[in-house]
Amino acid sequence: MNQLEFNRRMLLKSATAMAAVGAAGTFGLSSAQAAGPLKLWTIGIAKVGAKDWSAMSKQAGIEIAYNAKSARADEAIQKMVVGDGSKLYDAMSDNGGGMEDALASQGAVVELDTSQIPNWKNILPIYNPGGSAADTIRHKGKIVAVPYISNADSLAYNYDKIGADLTSWEALFDAQFKGRAAMQNDFGPTLTNTAIYLKESGKQDIDNPSDMNAAEVKGVCQFLIAQKKKGQFRTFWDGFGNGLNLLASEEVLVSSCWEPIQIVAAKKSKMDIRYGTMKEGHQTWNNCFMLTKGGLARGQSDAFYKLMNVYLSTWFGARTLATFGFGPQMQGVNEYVAANPKDFDAALIKARLAGKADRYKVKGNSWQNVFPTHIRDYQDWWARVQAA
Amino acid sequence: MSPVPLSRLRWQRAAGKALFLSPIVFMVLFFALPLALTVVWSVFERTMFWMKPGFTLFSYENFFFSARLENFLASMMHSSVSVVVAFVFGFPVAVFIRRRIPQVAQHRVILLFILPFMVSEIIRIFALRPVLQRTGLVNTVLLELGVITEPITAILYTPMGVIIGEVMSFLPFIVFAGFLAMEAVPKYVFEICDDLGARPHRVFIDVILPLAAPGIFAGALFIFVNGLGVALLPNILGGPGAVNAGLIATQAIAALDFPLAMAVNAIMMTTLLGLLYIGHRLFDLTRILTPIN
Repeated sequence: MNQLEFNRRMLLKSATAMAAVGAAGTFGLSSAQAAGPLKLWTIGIAKVGAKDWSAMSKQAGIEIAYNAKSARADEAIQKMVVGDGSKLYDAMSDNGGGMEDALASQGAVVELDTSQIPNWKNILPIYNPGGSAADTIRHKGKIVAVPYISNADSLAYNYDKIGADLTSWEALFDAQFKGRAAMQNDFGPTLTNTAIYLKESGKQDIDNPSDMNAAEVKGVCQFLIAQKKKGQFRTFWDGFGNGLNLLASEEVLVSSCWEPIQIVAAKKSKMDIRYGTMKEGHQTWNNCFMLTKGGLARGQSDAFYKLMNVYLSTWFGARTLATFGFGPQMQGVNEYVAANPKDFDAALIKARLAGKADRYKVKGNSWQNVFPTHIRDYQDWWARVQAA
Repeated sequence: MSPVPLSRLRWQRAAGKALFLSPIVFMVLFFALPLALTVVWSVFERTMFWMKPGFTLFSYENFFFSARLENFLASMMHSSVSVVVAFVFGFPVAVFIRRRIPQVAQHRVILLFILPFMVSEIIRIFALRPVLQRTGLVNTVLLELGVITEPITAILYTPMGVIIGEVMSFLPFIVFAGFLAMEAVPKYVFEICDDLGARPHRVFIDVILPLAAPGIFAGALFIFVNGLGVALLPNILGGPGAVNAGLIATQAIAALDFPLAMAVNAIMMTTLLGLLYIGHRLFDLTRILTPIN
């Protein structure tokens, strides 16, 4: 399907959806009621304010039907492109940079009308045309995604057991942590972080850790295979709960992981589990929401935009920072926190923002790219790492 | 009594024939056809998101000339160990129930073994982690008792963790199959053995094992098949090196390599059909439900 057909189909489906909404309105039903709850395919940590989705739902004024999603980009792409994802879900979150392009190029997600999102005016300037993150929400110049969180991923380590701060990815491959180290079971972050380490430590020539060529991918994977065969890794963690359990139960002492895993593991285990700043650099990323073509056809645009307005509100930004340590995607969070001192630990938020700023300053940082140019080589070699 | 009309007789005959053919239709639709499609798709060419018709043996090459074969063979070995352990613990239970429990209560006792299956497989497997992990129940108890000074780490995120999971998950199958096989052995056979003064181990080796062999084989095969195919086990309990055929196929699907996933399935099915054939030649599997005269 080419872009022209894509747009034509979108137009037709939009018209059909509008007709359906109009018909529903005739019988006294709102569009949201007519289409049912917004079927949201995302990760559990995309919500704040309550243990379930009630606070998000209340803020947006819509009903949300949450569907748990794994953190693996390839699985999500497969489900949306060749699977039944579009039939099942109205909206979905991505698994990092580059996924929007893959999904939009296959017609799995649709172009967005940002004028329907009042808080769009507060979005960080990096997303404006020409900004450093502008491409992460666009496909062929058109906006297809709404960012809601971002971060620079790093290494979590058990300070209580190790007794020192770690400042290099070297720790992950250090023999003293043999069998007590873990990486994510996802080629995106794992290969990028390893590539950053190999490049910056001068162990391998890599031009761009975010978009390696076949030979570079091979070199990185052969390094990981050798580490794996030496017994360096306890396991490759898969999903939030798994990553959390490994750290909190002391199965691993060092783990390349998401910041929320470190935060919750420290709380759960009551140990001093820290999130370091790696001198070689970090994989930086954002996560976005997209409207599926099925969601558009089912008349869920209105509900989608209402929810996106919440994701770009300081109410959400301050809470995701306080709860999970994720970077907010809108301006005005500091003012919001200052205006609501009872709801937030200002010192904690300051410390988190400082840690984040330190990580973002490192020269070797590399943007996440879940859909690199040579993705086949990534997938093939990652399969070999898994099977080794 | 009025005679049955001819048309009704014809209808009944046709219905009988249809009923007789239905298992064949079922097997063709849900076994032979998917298996054939699996083989056909395994030689298709891979595209970016799917596959296209063609003929290439690349997926098989990708399997046989990579770490995947090594992993497949390793998972066969782990499954074999699970079968032996499950047999050692499970079959005596089946014999005990058949020989020592009053006949009226036997099926109720066997039903007790179904209880764990009321809980989802993923929950059962996940529940093993807090038991086996470094700070889990087993290590905590052993450390408290002073049996060990360091936590045992070989029982989780290792092949042994996978074997423990397989035995815990599939043990009831050897009990069911063993009991079924033992049900086909009339009680008087044991009475004759007792009358002749045969020792328990001779009864077990010379009488019970040969008579129950088809059932034991069926149960063993079931455990072996699941050990090879259930991807959850190595994924949740195995370490970075624990992979079975199911996980290899799952990983291939996750990497959008559908022909490879089909090739793995075809290889697994061929292996299992081969084992079934050998088992049938050795033990005549049709004997499972045939009472001994």
